[in-house]
Amino acid sequence: MTILEVQNLTKRYGEQLAVSNLSFALEEGTATALIGPNGAGKTTALSMLAGLLRETSGSIKWNRESGVGFLPQHPHFFPWMTALEFMEMAAKLSGVDSKKALAQSKKTLEFVGLGSVQNKKTGTFSGGMKQRLGLAQAIVHEPKLLLLDEPVSALDPTGRREVMDLLKSLQPDTTILYSTHILNDAEQMTDQLLFMQQGKLVEQGSLAEVKERYAEPCIRIRFQTADQASAFAGFVSLPASLNGSTLELATRGDGGTAMKTVLAKLAENAEGVVGVEQKTVSLEEIFIKVAGGR
Amino acid sequence: MNQFGILFHKEWRENLRNYKIFWIPIVFILFGILEPVTNYFLPQLLDSLGNLPDGAVIELPVPKPEEILQAVIGQYQLIGMAILILAYMGTIAGERRSGTATLLYVRPLSFRDYFLSKWLMASITGIVSVWLGLLAAYYYTFLLFNQVEIIPFLQFAGTYSIWILVVVTIVLAASAAMPNAGLAAAVSLALVFFMQIVDSLVGAYWTFSPMKIPVYAVQWLNGEPDLSDYWWTLGIAFAFILALLFFGTGMAKKKASTAKV
Repeated sequence: MTILEVQNLTKRYGEQLAVSNLSFALEEGTATALIGPNGAGKTTALSMLAGLLRETSGSIKWNRESGVGFLPQHPHFFPWMTALEFMEMAAKLSGVDSKKALAQSKKTLEFVGLGSVQNKKTGTFSGGMKQRLGLAQAIVHEPKLLLLDEPVSALDPTGRREVMDLLKSLQPDTTILYSTHILNDAEQMTDQLLFMQQGKLVEQGSLAEVKERYAEPCIRIRFQTADQASAFAGFVSLPASLNGSTLELATRGDGGTAMKTVLAKLAENAEGVVGVEQKTVSLEEIFIKVAGGR
Repeated sequence: MNQFGILFHKEWRENLRNYKIFWIPIVFILFGILEPVTNYFLPQLLDSLGNLPDGAVIELPVPKPEEILQAVIGQYQLIGMAILILAYMGTIAGERRSGTATLLYVRPLSFRDYFLSKWLMASITGIVSVWLGLLAAYYYTFLLFNQVEIIPFLQFAGTYSIWILVVVTIVLAASAAMPNAGLAAAVSLALVFFMQIVDSLVGAYWTFSPMKIPVYAVQWLNGEPDLSDYWWTLGIAFAFILALLFFGTGMAKKKASTAKV
């Protein structure tokens, strides 16, 4: 079931198109990663979905009653409020029954790991703690749709892993759309990939689909020396490219057969071989290819 | 649960924790006490500081107690209004600029409740401050000079409270409409002071305007103002406040998208 449908969403600031003709849909219970270089319009797009910005044109269709949670890239809190006080206010303003708001707030703070500092003023919080509190305020009313703008970018590697695990545990009850430029994280949790650049959606699909599209199947063989590598290149008929002591053989299509052939050749001429691998394309390489391709 | 209650609770806490609810009344009380006290000690002050030749005799007329209360209003009209404006200039503009507003606006927020909760908090602080200050002035005037009749005093303070509402409403509407606290203060100060000057210069041509409320308030001390003018003025003041409340709510909503994300 589609929970959110966006059609031709456009935001114009004077002459500048911040977001241009964005169209996509979110299936219930899925996680979608919105990636793209700085200034691609990710924050503007999320702000429109969250209702903070009015779109210039286009439509956003979704059931508002199912609730939405939003975590801005840099959440700002009232420094004189404690975490629990803020959560209680946020919960009540989001329509949580006032009798349940306190319990719900405490539970959510425990969930994001802020249970022990719930009575501390948010003015004393570190960046990582604010990010967690930001996540807590976004989910305290148990929304069906969660919009997160760079939820983990400000965190250290341990914190990133923890928050990504928290987000995963919210699924499949919650549909998640999050922007990130940390592609490792995007690869960890994504059913759909949206790639924005200069306000436009330039690539879209599941991670596997996108990878397939950008895959340049090749077999990579590493040798001890460059001479050994170039010598082996003469034994196979595949198009070869040399990069120091590493030899890359483009396989075109059926990688399995090519691998068998290569391994058979290697069995006879294995001198100096350090490693053989079927090269797969990483999201980072795709990112650089898409972002650099303009 | 109604949003007004939630938001007013937040405003109350904020004003408590940034001490506005304490220091603003204290300033008004101080100025309320200062006026009768300096008047009382004026002859001694002149004597010791005035550097007058020996044998010079100063004879100052003893001020009437009503004149002292009137002088207190004179202080409030300058310093008091400036303090109220500066204290509440950032109420909405500041929240938008710091980004704290974003986590409120992202919820199904009633901007009417949002604006009115802030307006009520500022109004309470302003009116309580003025009453405490005027009561302090009343008491010290009574101690050091003479008693002002209680009924005229209540009419005087009550009328002046409506002026406070006018000022508070102006600063909150400006805070909703302007992009930052500084501009909100500039607009409010300009409106409050400039309009008063205009009113006192050319205001002779009309007898009812919200700007004349402080004048009418003082008139209660020395008799009573022209009642027809008085009620018309109050009526127009309330209409002005109501219009600004609608304007402020509208601006708070319209400018919500300028909050820092």
